[in-house]
Amino acid sequence: MSFEWLNPYHLQVGSFILINILLGISIYVTLATGQLSLGNAGFMSIGAYASAILTTQHGFSIPSAIVIGSLLAGVSGILVGIPALRLRGVYLAIATLGFGEVLRVVFINWESLTGGAVGIAAIPQMGREILAAVEAAGFSPEDWGLRNNQFISLSIFLILAAVVVLAILFFLRLLSSRVGRAYTAIRMDETAAETSGIDTTYYKVLAFSQGALLSGLAGALFAHATSYISPADFTYHRAVEILVFAVFGGSEALFGPVFGATLLTLLPELLRAISDYRYIVYGILVVLTMVFRPQGLIDPALVAMLTREKPAGGS
Amino acid sequence: MSRSFRLTCLISILAFALVFMGAAKDTPKAAAPAKAKGPAIPAKIGVISIITGQGSGYGEAITNGFKLARDEINAKKEVNIELVVMDSSGKQEQALAAAQKLINSDRVAAILGPTLSTEMKVVAPEANASGVPIMGTSTTAAGITQIGKYVFRNSLPESLAIPASVKKAVKKYSIKKVALFYGNDDVFTKSGYDTMKKVAAELHLTVVTTETFQKGQSDYKAQLTKIKNLSPDAVFCSALYEEGGVILSQARKMGIKAPFVGGNGFNSPKVIEIAKEAAEGLIVATPWYPERHDPKVKAFVARYSKAYGKKPDQFAAQAYDALYIMAEALKKAGKADRKMLRDALAEVRNFNGVLGKFSFDAERDVVMDPVVLIIKGGKFQMFQ
Repeated sequence: MSFEWLNPYHLQVGSFILINILLGISIYVTLATGQLSLGNAGFMSIGAYASAILTTQHGFSIPSAIVIGSLLAGVSGILVGIPALRLRGVYLAIATLGFGEVLRVVFINWESLTGGAVGIAAIPQMGREILAAVEAAGFSPEDWGLRNNQFISLSIFLILAAVVVLAILFFLRLLSSRVGRAYTAIRMDETAAETSGIDTTYYKVLAFSQGALLSGLAGALFAHATSYISPADFTYHRAVEILVFAVFGGSEALFGPVFGATLLTLLPELLRAISDYRYIVYGILVVLTMVFRPQGLIDPALVAMLTREKPAGGS
Repeated sequence: MSRSFRLTCLISILAFALVFMGAAKDTPKAAAPAKAKGPAIPAKIGVISIITGQGSGYGEAITNGFKLARDEINAKKEVNIELVVMDSSGKQEQALAAAQKLINSDRVAAILGPTLSTEMKVVAPEANASGVPIMGTSTTAAGITQIGKYVFRNSLPESLAIPASVKKAVKKYSIKKVALFYGNDDVFTKSGYDTMKKVAAELHLTVVTTETFQKGQSDYKAQLTKIKNLSPDAVFCSALYEEGGVILSQARKMGIKAPFVGGNGFNSPKVIEIAKEAAEGLIVATPWYPERHDPKVKAFVARYSKAYGKKPDQFAAQAYDALYIMAEALKKAGKADRKMLRDALAEVRNFNGVLGKFSFDAERDVVMDPVVLIIKGGKFQMFQ
């Protein structure tokens, strides 16, 4: 059996899309309660740094380091969320953006732990570790018709795909549960939700820390997919990029940010052929969306239309 | 609802149309190498460079250097190099995706670039694992070629540049007390500082203070006041020219007379533009000196200026030499085979380029003598 068509380049782009989808969902969860948080790049850096430091300096295995990294990001989400969520709208956005920048400066200056601006290199990479484990067990990817680099990229892609599918299923269930309805109620009208007996602070902090946990997870996976991180990966550019996933794709349905992250990661790659102009085209497309679909490409109305029409077309 | 749906369709169609337009434009380019005739060794070389976004100034100079070298090399008809240029926008993810595309889709024999050390740290392990030789032409941080045996560079690292300028300055001005001043949020300036600290310790210099600044800062008076009060014999400053120029100008205005010694990052005519007279007396070490009395250098400067309308900087020169080194190795290897090319590259010694004599050491890192320059009379001159 031959898998010659399996191109590590496509898998690589796919892996980055999946990581960005996680980040897209993470901002969507906080947006579901009507809170605009720009701290996701900061939480991502917590997950990435924690996981990288645990594996490179303390001999943790990759899965345990990823779990600890994301939990740490989730806990810091609670700690930051409780005071920060007293702020609303643009003030919350500014505060969380500030939080991310403060973290970045800490990572730059805490040289003994984080390597400063130089960052952490030689982080064990998921794919290569799996390859080493498989070879230690006496197998070789060639037995399955795969070259080594195909195997590495494929294993990373499959792990990320599994994580993303689980995350999407979890949040789809969550949003149609009691918790999800509470989120929607708070987004619609916080005062009304509170008078109806919803513990708004609890649910807001819950959504905030869920978003933080998910960003932390994305960060930890990012660290073990690229094997190098530095504070420059988590600047406010990253925070804005995550926000654009939601704004471009649509912030009112879960599949909005998922679609936004996919398209916005894929576009620069597809546009490689027109190298010099690709970011001009990219910019034009984003502006056009803003003009014609300010609610984002995917909104609940579109989701409803597509799901309603499907059975009709099928019969 | 249907109206908005139509718009969605329109936008998607537009997006796809653009993609296919790009693809169509790409086809004739791909067909070109098939026409390579004669005994010339055909080779596809990938280039990862910053073409869009912040830092594209470096990327432009580098790509121009490559293109000029390619035209000259191909004209000799010994090898026929096709460059496949990819944009990284200075981002690690994009650099990695570009590298995967070059390695697996375009199947290049070797990769030149990427531009930044941070990108190199992500790309090099991948290229190394895939057995593709990769050569940095502008990556100066420590620990690059140690990533693996397929990783090379021809850019002078700060760990070679700074000791050269520091040692010469210490000897000339009999320096004993120094102040260190560096940007702590940039890989380049930070590793420059690490080298300065090491050299200062080796030469038994007393470090009176160590001050830091951040990228984009515009007021350095607090740190400079402290440095002034301690009156060091010299200030070792690890900065890029944007900040470096401003630091010099503010230091001289505050009356600091001590000489400034910098690394490679300070080496730009822009420092003189920014600091004007305050730049006088700045000492830097660099591999690239355009006024060098060497017919090769003169010819390169003339051709580059003619083709691109400006003088080549250090990055263009390093890229230019890098492709010549690659062509040299290609000739020795006999064909564009990744492994044979790597082995041939590792053997390159005493290559004569526009940067002077160049060799790879046992770790595929740079062996060359940097030139130490001083700014005098508004321009860089040899420091005696």
